[in-house]
Amino acid sequence: MNKIVKMILNILTVVAVLACLVCAVDLKESFEYAANEEEKEADTKDDVFVFEYEVKHQAYGEILDSYYVSRLSNVDVPEGLEDIYHVSEYAHASFMSKVYEEKGDKLKADKCYETMKNLKDELGDYKFTADEIDAVINKSARRQ
Amino acid sequence: MICEKCKHEIGPDYLKCPNCGADNPFALKHAQNIKQFDKEFVKTENEVAGSAKKIAGLGKKAALLVILLIAIIVMRLIAVSNYHGSNTEEAAKKDAKKNAARYTKEMDDMLANGEYMEFANYCYGHEIMNSGAEEYERFRCVKYTVAGYYNCVKIMEAMILRSKDGEYFDRLDTDVSNFCMYLDGFERETLVNMKEQEKDEVYLSYILDMENELKAAMRTYFSMDDAELTQFLSLSKAKKAVKLEEILRNE
Repeated sequence: MNKIVKMILNILTVVAVLACLVCAVDLKESFEYAANEEEKEADTKDDVFVFEYEVKHQAYGEILDSYYVSRLSNVDVPEGLEDIYHVSEYAHASFMSKVYEEKGDKLKADKCYETMKNLKDELGDYKFTADEIDAVINKSARRQ
Repeated sequence: MICEKCKHEIGPDYLKCPNCGADNPFALKHAQNIKQFDKEFVKTENEVAGSAKKIAGLGKKAALLVILLIAIIVMRLIAVSNYHGSNTEEAAKKDAKKNAARYTKEMDDMLANGEYMEFANYCYGHEIMNSGAEEYERFRCVKYTVAGYYNCVKIMEAMILRSKDGEYFDRLDTDVSNFCMYLDGFERETLVNMKEQEKDEVYLSYILDMENELKAAMRTYFSMDDAELTQFLSLSKAKKAVKLEEILRNE
């Protein structure tokens, strides 16, 4: 009887030791995961590369798209994506300015123009994109 | 006790009669009994000690097993907490519940300023839609309307600001199709239901404002007057898409 109990206990101990080792490895990985999550910064290299490509082809709709996707999970601008955000916000303000004008909301339209003016100063190397966006918006908007 | 041989009195612990030297059968039997008892005692003592030793060995193993099990449970709990705690979505939900008072105020301010796109981003970014906090319940109808408005405006912007560069990939077809789908859902379901369900006049005014704003956007960028827009909105999704492609391709 004792021998059987002893054998069962031995087996259980070996299984528990193995499980303990697995848990220890998992625990280590969980700490690494937590640390990575905290320090996780958007891998901006690809985004910036795509941004440059889209700017080259004046594809501001695509830039806006990535901006909206990113905005769904980030309340603040991720580091390294400032240019994308400024261009996208400029595009949105430019788009909405015409909508407010059509709606007859001068106050909001003026606010948009003010935002556009401020953003234009922050665009730096991409200042030219503001003019390109304005050209597209002005051409597309009916009441010009 | 009396000696059987000489009838002399002898003590019970005398093995032989001190008078005649005859054996004392009682004392001899007693001595034998004591010897047997000692033997049995030692035997039992050894058995008990051996058994105790074995049980003590099993006890140690059982204790080790219990310690291992406790270690496993503790490690699993810490690991789960690490994985769970760093889940940004979950963290955002907790944050939305915790800061409900501040967030609801900011949301009201955004709506009052007509910043519907910002409102939508704010809701998504803070996981407000899924937080389950009661404080956000009053925004329910506005949230649904904003979600529809957001999708329509987002795609409209993408369509208007698309690249017309021949070397760049053209996704206008997809955008037009998605826009018509969202617009149809927004106009025919979301707006109808939310206008009916919203009891708060202020929030109802935001819903109506979003409707007007989207119509103004369509009039502006699709070159339509009121009559053309009404006719456009009455079309089916497929016909809307055809009409829109025609407008946007020939602009």
